[in-house]
Amino acid sequence: MPDASATSGLIAWWDAPAPGPENMAADEVLAAEAVALDRPLVRIYGWSEPTVSLGGFQRLADARASTVIAGLPLVRRPSGGGAIVHGTDLTYAVAVPRSHAWGGDPQVLYDVFHESLAAELRERGVAALRHPGRDRAAGDDERLLCFDRRARGDLVVQTAAGGTDGDKIMGSAQRRLRGAVLQHGSLLLQPPSISTATHQGLLRLHPQAAAWDLRQLVVAWLTRVAAEAGGPLDAHAAAYAPARARLIADAAARFREADWLGRR
Amino acid sequence: MAAAPKFAKTHEWIRLDDDGLATVGISAYAVEALTDLVFMQLPEVGRAVKAGESIGEIESVKAVSDVYAPVSGEVVAVNAALPGNLETLGQDPYGAGWLVKLRPADTAELGSLLDQTAYDTLVKSQPH
Repeated sequence: MPDASATSGLIAWWDAPAPGPENMAADEVLAAEAVALDRPLVRIYGWSEPTVSLGGFQRLADARASTVIAGLPLVRRPSGGGAIVHGTDLTYAVAVPRSHAWGGDPQVLYDVFHESLAAELRERGVAALRHPGRDRAAGDDERLLCFDRRARGDLVVQTAAGGTDGDKIMGSAQRRLRGAVLQHGSLLLQPPSISTATHQGLLRLHPQAAAWDLRQLVVAWLTRVAAEAGGPLDAHAAAYAPARARLIADAAARFREADWLGRR
Repeated sequence: MAAAPKFAKTHEWIRLDDDGLATVGISAYAVEALTDLVFMQLPEVGRAVKAGESIGEIESVKAVSDVYAPVSGEVVAVNAALPGNLETLGQDPYGAGWLVKLRPADTAELGSLLDQTAYDTLVKSQPH
């Protein structure tokens, strides 16, 4: 269990791959626990099969009509943003109490996670930087897939010419709850299992990354995030979900309901 | 003349109107903090709500947030034009950007909300 004696920094767990509803439920449990502990908590996880997570208010009909993601299971996130094809990415959820310094301006939490990873990647030779954002007229919020959008702070790899409009490798989105902010994010590692050549992923953009230990990368990234919160990273060897299986099973039922998936 | 608005800690405002109904919206601070609004869902007319219950959701480019009822009551009207004109929220959050009208179950509940001065103090203390 978390070290309740520490008051700053970050607590993190790494979970085994799970189905979409269980992953969304675990993040909801994580948010409630962040409020109870009054601490930022992070969960790193994978998916037991390639799955598309839709943003909180994306139209289900748009997802159903897309030939690009046809046949993949769908789950709706509580957080906003665009659809993500999971399976070749590394997904994280961070839950932050609303009273925390990261619980106010939405951009602050977004930037601290993205800039910390960008700094770690730059040290490893990847020209990662935060995108300045595009004008609304570009129609980004009408695009189905998160990795086809560019919002301020999205993590991209600099173009060969030094521009900021390179390949996007990480996007995040939030659900602002009464007591906590839940932020979901995805680091694309490989091209996703869909017929689009536009999403390259970190390992294709920077082949040397294939030799990296992914867990070491995550620990280095989250250590930087924790330092921004003024404390250490408390990275748990044990997984998060098994110790909270009953709570997660109860919460997962809602994420399986047709009403939730079809809410828009 | 309508009363001065009161505020919930969750950044909704409520104003008791001359007809006994209460108009509810979200504060200019909250609208500005959310930035780039893209979607809004409002409640059904006729729905009974309790103070603190979610009565709608608003999505910006990166975040989905709940809107909470400042007091208990019945939803008697919604600003149906608003979801299609979300820029109104930024332009006139205390006027044309209203969200719903409630028939309060007990107007005494407004007494537990913040006045403008107390709300301004709350906003100044928010993490940035």
